[in-house]
Amino acid sequence: MSFTTKVHTDDGVVTIRLTGELDSRSAPSLNEIIVEATESTVRRLVLLAEDLTYMSSAGLRCLVFAHQKLGRGVDIVLVGATPEVAETIRLTGFDRSLVMQGATER
Amino acid sequence: MAGHHRLTLRGGEAGAGRRLADLVAALAGTGGLDARRSYWLRLAVDEITTNIGQHGYRGQGGLVEIEGAVEPDRVWVRITDEAPPFDPHSHDPGPRLADGVAHDGEGGLGLYLALNGLDRLDHTYVDGRNVNTLVMERHVGEVQDTDGGTHGGDDRAGGGG
Repeated sequence: MSFTTKVHTDDGVVTIRLTGELDSRSAPSLNEIIVEATESTVRRLVLLAEDLTYMSSAGLRCLVFAHQKLGRGVDIVLVGATPEVAETIRLTGFDRSLVMQGATER
Repeated sequence: MAGHHRLTLRGGEAGAGRRLADLVAALAGTGGLDARRSYWLRLAVDEITTNIGQHGYRGQGGLVEIEGAVEPDRVWVRITDEAPPFDPHSHDPGPRLADGVAHDGEGGLGLYLALNGLDRLDHTYVDGRNVNTLVMERHVGEVQDTDGGTHGGDDRAGGGG
């Protein structure tokens, strides 16, 4: 049950690849990365989620945290979420606050 | 009753995630739940257990017993704790979610996910203990002969703290 991230920043676009399981234990590490990433100007936050195999409410709150840190003018794009992760986001209505691309439908 | 599993946690949530996931995976496998329903059962167990640790025991740790089994018509997981009485149904973040999830602050999100992902969650408070029973019904195609599926047992894993 590990969770790893890989961060790439290019011209204000922060891309974070999420791998593994994002739960109450791993969520603080993602919050730290979000804090670091938002110390400079961010135009867009891209989260690559193809390999994010699990996301609990703690992970969902990371997305909420990022949304609050970045403000409404900055897009958060979630790419390739698994059906379960995408369903979790939609169930809580947070899909209205980010852009979901390439999420697998079930 | 097939595939009975039991797990006892005493030190709060630290390190429990993997064991909880393994327990649910074993139950879901025996019960033939599909990937989606297995995922949501695991999520519900995770959320309820995390909520007990963070809010019921206020992060100080306490006894959490988890057991589960496969019945002909359902897979169930029973989570028992000694925290103050708390019925997950009494905490409904729905009105806040209607205004956007960003307005939801504390733990209600997890309970909301758990309650919506399960087929049923029953809560009782008996002899100073909360007893939450999480149920996933077994659909046609998921129900197979479970008599030979028992590979569980007593997976006690007490910890300090």
